[in-house]
Amino acid sequence: MNNDHNEFMWLDEHHEVSLDEIIQLSGLTHDELHRLVENGALIPNNPTDDSWRFNSHYLVSILTLSRLKHDFELESDSLALTLVFLERIRTLEVQLQRSQHTNSAPTIDE
Amino acid sequence: MKFKDYYEILGVARTASNDEIKKAYRKLAHQYHPDVSKDPAGEEKFKEVAEAYSTLKDAEKRAAYDQLGKHASGQEFKPPPDWSSQQGFQEYTFDDIDLSDLFAGFAKGKGRTHQSGRDRPIPGQDYELSAQISLEDAFRGTTLDLGFTVPEYDIQGQLKSVPHAFKARIPKGVTNNQKMLLRGKGGKGFHGGHDGNLYLNISFVPHRLFRVIDNDLYIDLPLTPWEATLGTTIKVPTLEGAVNLKIPAGTSSGQKLRIAKRGMPKHNQEFGDLFAVTKIIVPTTLSDQERVLLQQLADASTFNPRHHFE
Repeated sequence: MNNDHNEFMWLDEHHEVSLDEIIQLSGLTHDELHRLVENGALIPNNPTDDSWRFNSHYLVSILTLSRLKHDFELESDSLALTLVFLERIRTLEVQLQRSQHTNSAPTIDE
Repeated sequence: MKFKDYYEILGVARTASNDEIKKAYRKLAHQYHPDVSKDPAGEEKFKEVAEAYSTLKDAEKRAAYDQLGKHASGQEFKPPPDWSSQQGFQEYTFDDIDLSDLFAGFAKGKGRTHQSGRDRPIPGQDYELSAQISLEDAFRGTTLDLGFTVPEYDIQGQLKSVPHAFKARIPKGVTNNQKMLLRGKGGKGFHGGHDGNLYLNISFVPHRLFRVIDNDLYIDLPLTPWEATLGTTIKVPTLEGAVNLKIPAGTSSGQKLRIAKRGMPKHNQEFGDLFAVTKIIVPTTLSDQERVLLQQLADASTFNPRHHFE
């Protein structure tokens, strides 16, 4: 699903951003983002198309990555590894939050 | 304008080399960076450290900073009379301005004095804010009053801290800890540069009854032992009024009973589910009659919940 509102964009697994939008919003370069895709750290929803689109949740990790790159003066080669770990942390945090509020008992429908 | 001792913040001597400044910054960045540190005060501390480093790592900025002289941290001061013109700034009043804004605007200010840099577009700064909303507001959608201060140039080219207040519409469908990008709601761009963006982290105020996971709601449903054993129908609160829920006979603690489409709205106009999590509560005081009846049950029942121990 695309973010259909010009004023805001949801950053989650249900909405998409283009490569150009990520470049514009994150300050990372076209080459740096291409390398993230080549290394499998950033996975487009349409890898065989010319204009890649990504789930907008990536933007959260990529903005952090951009901050870390700037603040710690990270080399381009370390960006993919850093993004993989940022995404892993994000996924684990979501799982942890879910497991704190649910249990494994079977569900009975009303 | 209040003085900040950038050397003191980084813990280096005023004569420190660039390498020493960089090393000190890296050490402090690992300690306080908000994406790395667990220290709740880390973010504010890191801002100071980053501000000090961004000025001292740049030879021109460091020279300009050194010319401000040494003052006590937090002391009100004004730069020497000819400082602005020496640094290529237009004349500032230095009221309403922070030292960090001054040096953040340093490159921009310098740029404006050069013919080639005049009218160069400067994009506005991005900002990040957190806001808490109630579950009810998330359910219906709401409008938030947001505000922060941003450094901006006025018509005379003076850099000032300006309050930036606006309303942000939060449509229904927002989930807990969801992030939103509000385009153009950050710092103002200059010379045709686009306005910065605002990243808004939305979390829900804990609700007295409901817990929320994605678009689903969870509510603890206390049951008496006899309601759970015999089955019953119970009125369960939802965000749109109570609904009747049939409790099947033989319900145990911790079972999840799904009430379809009574959760939070989704982006696609559908709704999540409400899960009632059963919790059998036993009475702590018994009347004489209750005690007699329970004793009769204990004597008559062959039920053994621990048969797997044998």
